[in-house]
Amino acid sequence: MILVELGLFFSLLSLLSVGGMPSVIPEMHRYVVEQRAWISHDDFIEMFALGQAAPGPNVLISSLIGWKIAGVPGAFVTLAAMCGPAAVISYYVAGVWERMKDRPWRAIAQRAMAPMVVGLILSGGFVLATPGNSPDWRLWLIAAMSATGMVATKLNPLWFLAAGGILGAILL
Amino acid sequence: MPVTPPSSLRELFLGFLSIGARSFGGVMPWAHRVLVEERRWISEEDFTSVVGLCQFLPGPNVGNASIVLGRRWFGLKGSIVAFLGFFGLPFVWVLALAALYADFAADPMVKRVVVGVAAAGAGLFIGTAIKLAKPIARKPAALAIVAGCFIAVGLGRVSMLLVIPVAAAISYFLSYKKII
Repeated sequence: MILVELGLFFSLLSLLSVGGMPSVIPEMHRYVVEQRAWISHDDFIEMFALGQAAPGPNVLISSLIGWKIAGVPGAFVTLAAMCGPAAVISYYVAGVWERMKDRPWRAIAQRAMAPMVVGLILSGGFVLATPGNSPDWRLWLIAAMSATGMVATKLNPLWFLAAGGILGAILL
Repeated sequence: MPVTPPSSLRELFLGFLSIGARSFGGVMPWAHRVLVEERRWISEEDFTSVVGLCQFLPGPNVGNASIVLGRRWFGLKGSIVAFLGFFGLPFVWVLALAALYADFAADPMVKRVVVGVAAAGAGLFIGTAIKLAKPIARKPAALAIVAGCFIAVGLGRVSMLLVIPVAAAISYFLSYKKII
């Protein structure tokens, strides 16, 4: 039953998603495209693009992946699974966190997390811009453009997505 | 600036609905605008602290914030109401967009545009990573962990289930020893 498998896998991702949705993009891609071959790399990329361009939290990319794999029930299951376990943790941890404000482990854990999150998000960017692990300079050029724009300016990221779309139409 | 928590579940729902509905190009700036500036439910410092917690926890950041703040004001009911308010409209819109896209996906021009948008989205991830890396850029051990995670997960395509426990143990140890 594919809905059950989707639910279990995305629940697991939910627990691993420190730093939010971008951290688990590489694992999501590895599993649904490479290991299970439920959808193709192109499908994955298309759902990612739609999820980025639409308003709302980027975790909705997971519901689009679920929709592509198993229709509207898939969309509900993946979103619920992606948010549920993390929501339960948030619900119970919020109080504890406030009480532990001055405990040393909190600062230690926060410092420890930062480089992992950076490495995972970089991996996500690389996997998304490198279909089948074979470099395409045009995709990398577009990615470099929006990465530079994001670091160097305070513009709304939608402008970079729009520029990416135009460059895609011209170059690809 | 005095802050006043939402007085009813309805108000809480509408507040988070307006965050979700307007968040083109990123949720966090809109969460700040609605919660701190428009509705004045929480202070600037409080917002920073809640966001800090939610970035530390697994899960979508603002989704977690809806759970944490909803609970603070109305308990479990508040968490559920804030969460549904936040996700309701974006969920419907994104599926409507996908259904619309399905009609045009066969058009090669549309496809090129979408692949370009995805590459730009990948670039936004890389830009985010660079911004997050600024505070750790002068710590060689931290950069080694960044590189290790990238080589294993990005290039090697090793499962995160294997990489995360190993990286977390090393990273926590280095952090404990004040090396990162």
